[in-house]
Amino acid sequence: MEDRSTIGSWRNKLGFWKWAIASVFFRLILTYFSKNLNLSSRPEVSTPLTSLRRLAEGYWLKQLSMSPYSGSMYHGSPLLLSILGPLTVKKIGGLSGELLCSLVSLVADFISAILIRATGASLVRAYLHNWKSLGLDKLFKGNEVVPSGDVAALVYLWNPFTIVSCIGFNTSAIENMFVVMSLYGASAGLVPLAAFGWVVSLHLSLYPIVLVIPVVFLLGYGLDAPPRKLFVQSNLQGEEKRSACHAELKSMNDKFSKTNFSWWRVVIFFLWASVWTSYVVIMCAISMKEYGGLGEMFKRTYGFILAIEDLSPNIGVLWYFFAEVFDFFRNFFLIVFHVNILFMILPLAIRLNHRPCFLAFLYLAVSSMLKSYPSVGDSALYMSLLVLFVNELAEMQFTFFLFCGYVGISLLSPVMHNLWIWRGTGNANFYFATAIGYACFQIILVVESVSAMLNHDRKIRKLCNKV
Amino acid sequence: MAEVSAVVKPKPRPIIRVGLFLISHSLVVSNVCCIAGVLALLLLPVIAKNTYISENALMPGSASAMLSSDDASDGHVFLNKIMSISSMSINTGIEIPEMIAKHIIESGGEVNYHKFQPISDHFHPLQFFLGPDAGIVQENYSSTSYGVNTVGIVRAPCGDGKEAIVMVTPYNSVKPTSSEALSLGVAYSVFSLLSRVSWLAKDIIWLAADSRHGEHAAVAAWLRDYYTLSSGDLEKNLDMCSASSSPGHEVTSVKRDGVSNGFRRAGTMAAALVIKVADSSSGFEKDGLKIYAEASNGQMPNLDLINIVNYLAVHGQGLQVRVEKIWSLLDSWWLYSLGELQELIGKVAKSLNPQWKFGIPAPDYVEGCATLASSLYNQALGVPTGPHGAFRDYQVDAITLEFSPRFSTSQRVLFLLHTGRLVEGVIRSVNNLLEKFHQSFFLYLMTSPSRFVSVGIYMIAFTLLIAPLPLVAAALFSDASKSKSPGESIPASTSWNWLYAAKTVLVVHLWGAIVTIIPHLLCQIPNSSPLISLLAWITSSAVLLFFTRAASGSLSLSRATQLQTREWTLLKAVTVAATFIGLCLMSVINYATAEIGAQLLVPMCLMAVPLRVDLTAKTTKTVARGACNVLLVFVGFPPTAFLLSKGALAGFDGVRLDDFWNWIESLREWNSATYLYICMVHLPCWVLCVHILLHRR
Repeated sequence: MEDRSTIGSWRNKLGFWKWAIASVFFRLILTYFSKNLNLSSRPEVSTPLTSLRRLAEGYWLKQLSMSPYSGSMYHGSPLLLSILGPLTVKKIGGLSGELLCSLVSLVADFISAILIRATGASLVRAYLHNWKSLGLDKLFKGNEVVPSGDVAALVYLWNPFTIVSCIGFNTSAIENMFVVMSLYGASAGLVPLAAFGWVVSLHLSLYPIVLVIPVVFLLGYGLDAPPRKLFVQSNLQGEEKRSACHAELKSMNDKFSKTNFSWWRVVIFFLWASVWTSYVVIMCAISMKEYGGLGEMFKRTYGFILAIEDLSPNIGVLWYFFAEVFDFFRNFFLIVFHVNILFMILPLAIRLNHRPCFLAFLYLAVSSMLKSYPSVGDSALYMSLLVLFVNELAEMQFTFFLFCGYVGISLLSPVMHNLWIWRGTGNANFYFATAIGYACFQIILVVESVSAMLNHDRKIRKLCNKV
Repeated sequence: MAEVSAVVKPKPRPIIRVGLFLISHSLVVSNVCCIAGVLALLLLPVIAKNTYISENALMPGSASAMLSSDDASDGHVFLNKIMSISSMSINTGIEIPEMIAKHIIESGGEVNYHKFQPISDHFHPLQFFLGPDAGIVQENYSSTSYGVNTVGIVRAPCGDGKEAIVMVTPYNSVKPTSSEALSLGVAYSVFSLLSRVSWLAKDIIWLAADSRHGEHAAVAAWLRDYYTLSSGDLEKNLDMCSASSSPGHEVTSVKRDGVSNGFRRAGTMAAALVIKVADSSSGFEKDGLKIYAEASNGQMPNLDLINIVNYLAVHGQGLQVRVEKIWSLLDSWWLYSLGELQELIGKVAKSLNPQWKFGIPAPDYVEGCATLASSLYNQALGVPTGPHGAFRDYQVDAITLEFSPRFSTSQRVLFLLHTGRLVEGVIRSVNNLLEKFHQSFFLYLMTSPSRFVSVGIYMIAFTLLIAPLPLVAAALFSDASKSKSPGESIPASTSWNWLYAAKTVLVVHLWGAIVTIIPHLLCQIPNSSPLISLLAWITSSAVLLFFTRAASGSLSLSRATQLQTREWTLLKAVTVAATFIGLCLMSVINYATAEIGAQLLVPMCLMAVPLRVDLTAKTTKTVARGACNVLLVFVGFPPTAFLLSKGALAGFDGVRLDDFWNWIESLREWNSATYLYICMVHLPCWVLCVHILLHRR
C-alpha cells in the first residue's frame, strides 16, 4: 500500500488533468494560427500517405465520380476518404474544413493519451506486483515508482512532434490512435478491441502488421514482466513466504499466469481479427466498387508504400537512395530495405518475449526509422511508448546525448530544407545529412533502450539470486 | 555518461577511448581549441585565395566592347534632359518616368509603368524554418503617395524569352540628383545599344526604380509583383500599373505610343546589376567602383558575378575596385604588429624552405583584416547593403555597382563610355551563361575585391571555437553522474537527473522567445523615444524573467532539492549543450553572426562557475577566474557588447544608449536572423550564465 501512496504523491504533483487540458487548449490556439504556420506543406509533417490535402483532392475526384486514386494524388484508405472527406469541404459555423480536421486530430490525440495512460497504469501495477512476487518489494524503501502512464500520456500530449503533426492537417494522429488502441486492448485483455485496433491500423498504414507479435505475446503471457524462469525459481524458493497476505494478488497471478501461454485468447484474437478484416475489406470493396475494385486499392495504397514511388524529400533515408539507384537494381534494393525491418522481428521477439509492450515500442521505432514515408508523428508515438518504461529504463545511458541530438536535428532539418529549397545555397545533401543524423539517433535510442532493458533484467536476476 | 560505460566494459572501443581521453582533458583541449579558433580567424586574410572565374561559359572580356562614343553622348543628352526636368519648378513625379518611357520606345524596347506602394515588411520569425509566404496580401491602395517604376524590356533576338538580365537604376522621380541622373544615363546608353545588338540571348530588363520610398522598397515591390502576380490578377490590378497618379494629367499620349498597361515580364532572371553613381569619389585616385554584395541574412551572390565585374573593371576599363572596409581598423597598432609578426614568420619559413609561401606584407594584412571585418559585420547584420538585396530573396544573383566619378562635368561622356562598356561587358558575359550561376561559391568572405575566403576555410575557425562545447558538456555531465553514490540496489533514475536542468534551460529559452516579441508590441505605442522603448523593453523582460522563475519554481516536478548539491554542474552542462545547438543552427542560417556570437558566448559559457565557489576557495586562480567571469558576463550582455564595440571603432564620445534600440529595431524591421539569434540564443545563454554565477552552493 505504501507504493501506491508514493505513486499517489507523484500523481498529485504531476496534475495530469490540468496539463492534459492545457495541452488541448494549446492545440486549439495553435490550430487557430495554423494558416500562418503552414505546417501542412512541410515534408516532416505530412507525407504522401497522411496528408489531408491529398485526401481532400481524392475526395473531390470521388465527388466527380472518378477514382480517388487517379492521378497519383491520394494513397490512403477509401474508408478514411468517406469519413474525413466531407469534413475537408464542409464549413460549419465559419470553421473551415481544415479546422474541423485538426479538431478530429485533436480528439484522436486526446484519446491516444488516455489509452496510453491506462496502459501505463496497468504496466506499473504489473511492475509492482512482479517485484512483490519475486520477493524484492522490501528493496523499494525510499524509492518512488514513477506513474509511467501519466508521464507517458503527458509526454505524448506535449511532445512538439505530436503537436506539430496534430495541427499539420494529416492523419497520423488517427493512425497512432489505432495503434495505441490495439496495445491497450491487448494489455487490458479486451481481445475484440485489440483485434479492431490492429486491423484498422494495419489497413491505414501497413507497417503495424508487425505488431501482431507483441499483441499475441501480450494476450498469451500477460503484461511485461521479468524473465519467466525467475518466477519459477522464486516460486520454488519461497512458496510459503507469500501465502496469506497476498491472497488477492495471487489470484491475479493465476489469471496472468507467468509461465503458461494461454492459446485460447490468441485463438480468439485471430478470430476477431479475421472478423474485423473481412468487415474492413467488405466496406472497402463497397466503396471501391465503381473505381476498379479492391485490386486497385491494394495497388494504390500498399503498392505505393512498398514500391516507394514518391521520391519527394522526407525525413527518412529511402527517398535519396532510390532517387540515386539505377533502375535495374531498384527491385533488389526494395526487397533489401523492406526485409531489413523483417530481419529484426524474430531476434527481438525471441529475446524480449517476456516484455511484449517494450517489444511493441521497438517494432514501432524500427519501422518508423525504415518506413518509406516517415513523419514526425511516428516518432511521437514511439517516444511516448518509451516513457512507459521509465521505471525499467532508469539507468539508460546517453539519454542527455539523445535528447540534445533530437532537439538539434529537429531544428536543423527545417533550416537545411529552407537552405536547399528556398535560398538555393544548399543542396539535397545538406537535407539528407540531417535525415541520416536522425536515423542514427533513432538507432542509438533503440540500441540503448534494449541494452538498458536487458541490464535491468540481469539486475533482477542477480537480486533474486541474492534473496 | 561515457565514463559509466567505461566502468561497465573493461575495454571500450578505440573511438570511445579517444572520446574519453578528450573528455578527461577537456580543460586543456578547450583552451587550445578556443585560442586556435581566434587565431584561425585572424589568419584568414593570409590564407585568402585569389579569385578566379570558375564558369568557363562566362568568357569575360573576350569580345570587344561595342558601346561607342555615340551611345555615350546619347546617354549624355538623355541625362541633360532629366536634369532639365528636375530643375523645373512643378514636378509631380510622372514627367521623368514618361520621358524614360518615351526614350525606351524610341530605342525599340517595350515599356510599362509599375505603380506601387511600399508595403511595410512584417516580421516573420519562422521564415528560416518554413518557406516564405506565398500569398502576400495586397493591401488597399488608398494612400496618396505612390511610386512609379518604369520597366523597359528588350527582347532577345537569339533567345527564347525564358531568361533575362536586369539592370536597376534607382532614382528619385521628384528630385533626382545629378549622380542619379548619371546612373540613368549609363543605363540608357547601354540599353539603347543592347536594343540594337544581334548577340543577345537573354532579355534585358531595365528597371528605373523610383526611390522616393527607399531604393530597396521600390525594387522589392517590383520583384514581388513580378513573381506573384498571375494573369488572373492582371485585370484587377490594372489601375495599379497605369501611371495616372495625378488627376487630370494626360497619359494617353504616351499610351498611344505603346506603353503597355499590363505588367510586362521577361523570363527568369539570371543576374541583376544595380547601377549607382556616388556623389563624390572619396579616397579613389582614379575613377572608382565600389561593389556591394551582401543581401539579407548574409546571403551573397555567386562569386563569379563579382569576379566578372572585378576582372572587367580592372583589366578592361582601368577602374579602381573596392569592397567595403572598416576604416578605423586601418590605423590600429595591434593589427599592424600582428601583420608584421605574420610577415616575419612567413620570411623565416621561406628561408627554411623556399617552397613554403605564406605571409603577406603587413599593410596588406591590415587592409585585408579591415575588409574581412566589414564583410563579416555586414553579413552578420543580415541587412542588405543595397537594393540588390531584394533579388537574393528570389534566388537571383545581384550586386550593386557604385561608380565614383572623378572628373569635371566636361568628362562626363568619357565616364559614360567607361562605365557603359563595363556594364555591357558584364551583361555580355552573363548572356553567355547556359544555366544559373552555380559553379563558384555562394558562401564566402571577401578580404579584397580579388581575394576571398571560401566556406571550407572559414568554417575551420568557427568549428575550432565551438568544438570544446560538446566536450565540456560531456565532461561536466560525467562529473555530475559520477558524484552520485553508486551501489544502490534499486534503480534510481541517475541517468535522467539532467531533466530538471533541461527544464530550467527550456524555460529560459521560452522566455527568450517572449522577449523577441516584446519590441513588436512596443512599436505600437505611438511617438515613444528610442531610449524609453529600450528601457521599457529591458524592464519588461526583467519582470517577465522574475515571474517565469517564480512560476517554474512552483511547477518544479520533484527532487529539485535533492539535486541541489551538484545542480550547477548539470545546469552548466545543459546550458553549454544548448549554446552548442544554437550556434550550430545559426552557423547554417548566417555564418557570420554565429562566428561573432561564438567569440562572445563560448568563453562566457565555458568559464562560468558559481562565484561562491570561487570566493570560498580564495586562491589567486579562483579569484582571477571569478573576475574573468564577471568581466565576460558584463561584455556578453548584448547592449554593452554593442556599445563597447561601437565605441572601440568609432570613439566613445558619440556612443549613446538609444543607438542600441535603433540598431535592434533596424534588425527587426529587416527581418534579420541576427535579431532572433540575439533574443533566442545569446540572451538566454547569458541569463543562464548569470544564473550559474549567482548559484547558491
